[in-house]
Amino acid sequence: MNTRVKFMVGLIGLGLILALIPLPGRWSIQAKPQNLLSQALDEKTYFTVDQVAMFVVSEDSSVQLIDLRPQEEFRKANIPGSINIPYNELLNNDPGRFFNNGNTKNVFYSNGDFESNYAFILARGMNFKNTFVMKGGLNHWLKTVMNSSFTGDRISARENALFETRTRAGKLFTEINSLPDSLKLKFMEAKHSAAKKLDGGCE
Amino acid sequence: MNLKRLFGMNLLKRYRVVIPVVLPIFILVLFRSIGPYHFKTDAKKQAEPSFLKTNIVSIGQTDYMPGNKLIINLDKGSGILDGTRNSVMGIPADSVLKKEYFRIIRNHEGPVLLYSSEPGTAARIWMVLSQMGCENIFILTNDPGNENPKHPPQ
Repeated sequence: MNTRVKFMVGLIGLGLILALIPLPGRWSIQAKPQNLLSQALDEKTYFTVDQVAMFVVSEDSSVQLIDLRPQEEFRKANIPGSINIPYNELLNNDPGRFFNNGNTKNVFYSNGDFESNYAFILARGMNFKNTFVMKGGLNHWLKTVMNSSFTGDRISARENALFETRTRAGKLFTEINSLPDSLKLKFMEAKHSAAKKLDGGCE
Repeated sequence: MNLKRLFGMNLLKRYRVVIPVVLPIFILVLFRSIGPYHFKTDAKKQAEPSFLKTNIVSIGQTDYMPGNKLIINLDKGSGILDGTRNSVMGIPADSVLKKEYFRIIRNHEGPVLLYSSEPGTAARIWMVLSQMGCENIFILTNDPGNENPKHPPQ
C-alpha cells in the first residue's frame, strides 16, 4: 500500500469518526454567557400585569401571550388571546415555530415567577430576541386585575384609567373563560372583526 | 479547453473511486464543524431539574439536604438569610459570571443555593448557570409554592 492510499484511508477513517459522533442535542444555548446575563437582569424584559391588561383590552396584535401552565390549567382559565405551550414541552418541538414571528412580542406567563423566567432564558439563549415575561404570573394577574376595586372619595385621572383597564380586562377574562373551548376562539375573532368595522377597516 | 480537461476529466478519472466516498464524508464533517449546535450543551438536558421541579428548596428543607451547603445571596442586602445556620456568600446577580465567583460556584463541593428576594431573578440566574454546566444548584425560596395556582378564578 503506497503512502497516498494510506493517507486516504486514514482521512476517511477520521472523517467517519467525526461524522458519526452523536449530536449533543437539538436545541442548545448559543448566546454568549455575559450577554445572556445582561439580558437576564434587564428590567425592560418584564411586563407588568397592568401592561398586559392593556394589551388584552386593546387586542394588541403585536403581542402574543404564551401560557406555560399545563394544558388542564390552561383550559380552566387563561388570559384572553393566549396560546398554551406547557413549559415541560417547550423544547420537545421546534420553539422557532412560536417565537420566530417577526416583530411580535412573545410574553411568557405561568402561575408564578419561576417557569416563565426559565423559558425566557432558554428562548433568549437560543437567540429568540422578542421574548418577555409577565411579572408575577397569573397569580399576580388574578390578585391585581381580577380583584381590582376602588375605595375613596377622589380618584386621579391616572388611577381612573388604570382602574378602567383592569375592569375591562377582568370582564373580558371572565366572559371568555365562561365560554366552552370551541367558542373561545370564535369570540375573540368576532370581537376583532367588530372592532375593525368600527374603525372603518376591512377584513 | 486545456484547463477543463486538466481539472475536469483527468481528475474525475484518476479519483473516480475515491471522490464518491470522500465527498459525502467531507460534507458531513463540514456540517458538524460549522453547524450552530457544534459541541454545545443540550439545553433540555441542562434544564431537566426545572421541568421536574427538583431545583427549588425552601429554607426549612435546607436542614435535610446532605453535603456542605453554600448559599449565594444575589441581592445587595441579606434579608431573610440573616438567621440561617449555613454559610452565606453575597454575590450580586450581575457578578455571578466573574471568574472568581463563578469558580467558587462551579467548584463548590455540595449544594449551591441561590437566593433572591425576586424569584424571577433567582430563576434566571439558575438557568444561566445550569446552561453553563454548573450542577447541584438550587433555588432557595421562602415561597416554594410560587408556581401553584393561588387565586382560583371564580
